This record gives sequence, C-alpha cells and structure tokens, in this order.
Amino acid sequence: MAKVTIPIGPQHPSLKEPESFSVTIDGEKIISMTMKLGYNHRGIEKACEERTYLQDMYLIERICGICSHTHSTCFIQAVEEIAGLEIPRRAAYIRSLVGELERIHSHLLWLGVAGHEIGFDTLLMYSWRDREIVMDLLAMLTGNRVNYAINTIGGIRRDINADNIRDILKAVDTLEERTKYYIQIATQEVTLIQRLSGVGTLSFEDAKRLGAVGPTARASNLPRDTRKDDPYAAYGELNFKVVTDTHNDVYGRTLVRVGELMESYAIIRQILTNLPDGPIAVKAPRKIAPGEATSRYEAPRGEDLHYVKSNGSDKPERVKVRAPTLANLQSVSKMLENGYLADFPIVIAAIDPCFSCTDRMIVGVHHPDGELAGAMDWKALRTYSIDWYKKNRGVNFKIKA
Amino acid sequence: MIHSLFAIFIFPGFLFLCVISLAAEFIDRKVYARLQNRVGPPWFQPLADMIKLFGKEDIMPEEANPLMFKGLPIFALAAVATAFLYIPLWSPESLFSFDCDIIVVLYLLTLPTIAFFLAGWYSTSLYAMIGAIRSLTQLFAYEVPLFLGVLAPAIIANTWSLSGLIAFYRIHPVLAACNMLGFFVSIIALQGKLEKVPFDIPEAETEIVAGSFTEYSGRLLAMFRMAIAMELVVGASLFSAVFLPFGFGLPLAGAIAAYIVKIVFIILLSCLIRTLFARMRIDQMVEFCWKYLAPIALTQILINLLIKGMVL
Amino acid sequence: MTIEQDIQQTLIQQFPFLDGKCTVKRARRLSATVDYAQFRTLFDFLADKTDFCILCTITGLDEGEQLSFIYHLAREDGVMIDLKTSVPKTNPIIKTVFDRFPAADIYERELIDLLGTQVEGLNPGRRYPLPDTWPIDEHPLRKDWKEKEA
Repeated sequence: MAKVTIPIGPQHPSLKEPESFSVTIDGEKIISMTMKLGYNHRGIEKACEERTYLQDMYLIERICGICSHTHSTCFIQAVEEIAGLEIPRRAAYIRSLVGELERIHSHLLWLGVAGHEIGFDTLLMYSWRDREIVMDLLAMLTGNRVNYAINTIGGIRRDINADNIRDILKAVDTLEERTKYYIQIATQEVTLIQRLSGVGTLSFEDAKRLGAVGPTARASNLPRDTRKDDPYAAYGELNFKVVTDTHNDVYGRTLVRVGELMESYAIIRQILTNLPDGPIAVKAPRKIAPGEATSRYEAPRGEDLHYVKSNGSDKPERVKVRAPTLANLQSVSKMLENGYLADFPIVIAAIDPCFSCTDRMIVGVHHPDGELAGAMDWKALRTYSIDWYKKNRGVNFKIKA
Repeated sequence: MIHSLFAIFIFPGFLFLCVISLAAEFIDRKVYARLQNRVGPPWFQPLADMIKLFGKEDIMPEEANPLMFKGLPIFALAAVATAFLYIPLWSPESLFSFDCDIIVVLYLLTLPTIAFFLAGWYSTSLYAMIGAIRSLTQLFAYEVPLFLGVLAPAIIANTWSLSGLIAFYRIHPVLAACNMLGFFVSIIALQGKLEKVPFDIPEAETEIVAGSFTEYSGRLLAMFRMAIAMELVVGASLFSAVFLPFGFGLPLAGAIAAYIVKIVFIILLSCLIRTLFARMRIDQMVEFCWKYLAPIALTQILINLLIKGMVL
Repeated sequence: MTIEQDIQQTLIQQFPFLDGKCTVKRARRLSATVDYAQFRTLFDFLADKTDFCILCTITGLDEGEQLSFIYHLAREDGVMIDLKTSVPKTNPIIKTVFDRFPAADIYERELIDLLGTQVEGLNPGRRYPLPDTWPIDEHPLRKDWKEKEA
C-alpha cells in the first residue's frame, strides 16, 4: 500500500477534545505527523484582562474541567504573591488536599482512557467506577464535582469538619485497595503489557532536551515534580516521594501514574492527620498593588505555570497560562517516530493531553469584511439547513426575524 | 417444496436465526456489562437497535461503487444464514446435510470477512480502506488455526459430514474429550472472525473510527451488524456440533435445551475473552496466531492421528 | 549566601550591565531585565552555564510603546528566572530560541498570533492558536485590539 495521510481529528473517536492530527502512514507504520492546535481557543487570557481578580479565578477554573483546581490555585498563588498575602496554614493544607483528590480523579480517569484507547474497556469501566468515589468526596468537600471553586483570594471558601475527615479516610482506604488491584493488573496482564511496553519511547536525554513535564518526564526517569522542586501550599511540610520509572515508554507512564495514586493516598492521610487549626482565609484587598509574579503548580499532567501582572487596579494587566500539555507536545512528535498507527491513540493519550488547557482561549471569528473564507457563518448555515429540509423533506420551517 | 421454503426462511432458517442472534447478542452484551460492573442493556436492546438502524437514512459516499456498496451487506448476511442451514442444531441431521458439508460451512463463514474487506475497499474512505486491509491480514492469521481446529475432530471420525461426525461421537462419546485443544484454538480464532477483542483490530474505533463500516449507515449497516450477530450464533452452533456433540439423542425438548445450553456456554466463553484482554496490534495478532494458535492446532491434529492409529 | 544570591552574583559578575537589573524576588525566584541586543548572550549563558535547562514558557506583554517578552527559565532544583526583554512595537522582530529549546516553537507561534511579533528563524508550520481563517493582522492580546462587529 502506498503512503497515505489520514486525518485524525478534529473529530475522531480517540480524541476527547477537538484537535487535528495528520498522520502519514506506510502500511501500518507512521512516517510523519503534523498537528493543528487551537480548536479550543476561547480567549480566556484576554477575557481575564477585563474582569476582576475574583471573577478571573472562576473563569480560570473553567480552563479545564479536570485540572480546574490546578489552574485556580496556580492563578491565586500568583495574585497572593503580588498582594503579599500569607494564607493561613489550614487553608494551605486544604488546598493541597483538594489538589491531591483532583490528582487521584485525574489519574483514575487517565487509566480508564488509556484502557479504552487500547481496546481494554473493562479497565475503563472499573477505574471510572472508582473515580466516582473521589468525585463524591470532592462534591462533599466543595459542593461541586468539577470546577470546585474552593479557592478564594487569601485562602479557601469552605472549611472541613471531623465528619468529612472520617469519610475521606474511609474512601481513601477503599481506593487504595482498588489501586493495588490495578497495579496487579498492570504488572500481570499480558495483552496490556504487550500493548504498552516499548511503545512511544522517550529517552532520558530527549525528555530533558524537549522539556517534558509531569508523569511523561518522570517515566523517563527525570524526577521533575514541582511539588518537590518548588513547594507550594502545604507540600513543603509533607513527606512524599517522587515516583519515577525507567521504562521510558507508555508502560512506564502507566506505572508512574498508578504509583502516584498510592503516593497521593499517603499524602492525604498526612494532611488529615496534621491538619492545623485556625482560620481558613485572610482578608484580601479588592485592588492589587502593581507587580508581577510567576506561579508554578504540579498538575496531574505536569507543571502548570501562570504569570500575572497587576497594574494597581482591581483587574489584572496580563494573565498568562502555560498548561502542561503544551510543554509535552514536542515530546509527542518524538514518541510517535517509527511507531504503529495502532499505537497512535495510546501514545497521544499517554501524555494525558488536555487540549482545553492548552488552547485556553475565542472571542468570535469575524472577518473584517464580514465573511469567512471557505466557511459558512451562522446565518448562512441556518438558511442552508432550512432550504435543505424544504427541498428534501418537504418541511417548511419559518424563519423568525 | 413449501416445507423446504418454510425451513429455509422461517424455522429453523432465517427468521429463527434472526431471533436467536438477537437473543445471543443480548446475552453477550448483558454479560459483558455485568462483568464490567455495569447494568447493561434491557432484553429488547439489540432488537431496538436494529429497528432504529433500519429506520435511518442510507448515506453512500459519492465515489463508492453503488452496486458493491449496497450488495455486500446482503451478500454477507446471506452467506452466514446459508451456513446455518447445514449445521445440525438439535437433531443429529441438519436440514440439508450432505457429505463434506463441514467444509462448505467453514467456507461460507469465510465469506462475510471477504465481504467486510470488499465493503471497506469499495467505500473509498481512508479509514475503511485501512480497516479492509486489516480484515484481510487478520483473515490469513486466524483462518488456518480455525480450519485445523474444526477439522481435527473429523479426522478421528473419518468423515467430512457434520451428521457423520455426530453419529460417530454418539458411539464414542469419550473421544470428544480429546478435541479440547482444538476447541480452545477455535474459540480464540472465532474472536478474530467476529472482530471482537482482542482481535477487533479491523474496527478499532480509537484508531480508524469503525474500519470497514465507517461509511455505512442505516439499513446497510444494520445488515452488517446482523451478519456479525448471526456469525456468533452460527459459529457457536458449529462448535457445539463439532466439539460438544452431546444431547442429540435426547427427546426433542431435551435436545433443544441441550443445544441452548451449549451455545450459551460458547457465547459466555467468547464474552469472557472479550472482557479479559486488551486489543492486540495487527503484527502481534499475526505473530500470536502463527506462533501459538497454529502449532497448538497442529498438535491437536497429531494427537487425533495417533488416537486414530492406536485406539480405533 | 543562598543559591539565588549566588546565581545573581555570577550573573552580575559576567554581565556588568545587569547590576541593579537582576533581583531576587523571593526564594527560588529571580528576575532580570536585559536589552534585546544582549539578550541572546545572556540567554545562552543562563542555559549553558547556570543550569537553567527548562524553558517553561514565553510570556508576551503589550507595554504601550514596546512589546516585552518574559522568558521563564527554570532549573531542575526549582530555581526560576524571569528574563525580560523588549523590542519596539513599530519593529517587533525577535529571533527564535528554537535551536536551544525545541519547546519554544509553539510558544513563539503563540507570540506571532496573539501579539503580532515577528519571529525570525522559525520553521514553517501551521499557526497557533488562532484558526486559519483568522485575519493575519489582528492580534487579540494587543491592548488596542477591539473585537470587530460582525
């Protein structure tokens, strides 16, 4: 069979979000790959400049549905640094707690997606069932299953009580037991290991050179973890280890994530045992003094970075978001070299891509002269569909002015 | 004449096959769901799916060859339904049994795969094309172990006809136990024929959308779906006649019950395989079939030849 | 002397023009401002001699008369420097750092689309993050940009 280029995306079953990849294959082998990003660009950075800091926090939380706490905490940390606010220790601990719960839910989600990408739907069903436990915990603690909105400038919004602590500890015990079972599957199931090992290799040198972050870097034995390197919230006082692996492939990335789940359970237990008493927030000014700050946060997918510049008003001058997926994209091209088409979905999934995070920002695509090259605008599309139904189905829809 | 037509189209022919295929699909889906900790579909779901698909619009790519595109689903369906007529279900004789019918059944079961390949090829879509090539590649991998596995029992029985086979094992029931290796190989190869996990490579949705069927919709897709559902039942019936030749001598009700128990057992095995494994890559699949399945099937043949030489 | 001050001293020693322009903001955070003429020398020095081996991202700022760029560089031990440089808005040309950090490719494409920077030496590729139909001369993150009416 001659070389063919197949489009994967913007709409494709293996992609959970719209992005477009063009893969040139020779038989089953991948020759080259190009990508077009930006389908999820929503103009959030620009929108942030027109809203107050507190409104921005809620907006930024909606950059991503999975690592929403990541983005809001990262942004809030930058704002607090500019304003010189020291958040109470209890607030820092609870931020870490929600962050770890979020990591658990994200990694369990990833495990399911990875299973689905290699046709192992049973794993998908099992891990997503267990993910519900974490989602329920988050709903109990914050009021929401996603977009928790627990942060506020200067601390957190909701405190936790003894009942919550008991429920969390109980749930964590269940999850730990289930995770042990997944570790057993990951290390014993033959087809799973066959599909994952040797796939999408990224050597230590390449990971370092291409700037890989998060589990992608750690699976290439590169111990990059912002929680350790640049401690924030309560991580400086917590005892945990950075899970690394030397497999350098998708299998390694699976082991790292499952290992991190176990670490997260340990971290949560520590947080709950050592939870300090005290207030949960300090009063924050409405206007933030001029200044700038860069904040880093270890998202489930890797390092998240926010840069905030203030101009003395109640609205920021500039907000910049760099999501972990963007840092890992270069590595993906490397991983796909000489791979199989069949491995494409799992290699892409293995960096746990979050294109919503990556693209962030659209305000509305308007050509200066009012028309779009090669695309229909909303009105034309509507007229077309009404005509189509009139012609082919004999249905006459009335157009309301 | 009327009696034959009734047998072919109504009972135990096409219509009956449709009904048990849908029932089999329900069992497969429900058990699959329960094994995965899900609730699973209600009993009428496969039928509802079919009705829904039949009510949908047929969309055909402009580039596609209309004759082939529309003809192939019917071709696949007809091939499977025909194969069913030659398999003894509960009576020791099948409807139209003749000498060497076991070979005919096996080849009729190969036809749907060829139809999937051609359907993908004539769809002129990239995904369908890749799916088609994968179907054919896979066919060469599982077909030989499957044939060897199914034909091994016939070696002992010294006959190429299914009714002869059953008659033989009614006299020597113990010898049926010797064919378990072949049964094991065939069940796994059947997964390839049905394009199910771990061999659902030709329609791996996360890679090539729906493989050969990417461009199919509406009635035509329904026919393909039906053909696959029927293939499961026909395959299970064939295996139950060849590897589990029990219950044929019972009174009618008992024989039917035995038949149902046997095919449900085989469907459950297939379902379990589907639950337990991840999808293989095409190169791994071919390697697996030639490195493990084919030698095991050959071992079965060897065992049967030895038994035939020494015991009988 | 802390590690941050150590880095600060090394930098000022090597590049006297940084005196007063390189500060330690807090633990593990440095910032430096440099003219674009000396930028690349300092950038390479940071990357090669002081272990700033991660380019986290490049932030583009519209500061009225000029466009500023902050290169966020980090070390494996968590120390991070925000290296700021500016070019005039009338002639916003910078050279790519893709040769040093392959990850810079996408960050620089973002600067082209959103701030209207021109980046020299970038490989041909598709634009990011705005769609292909977006007008080439509209840059949403410029302060004077207004959404056009349909």
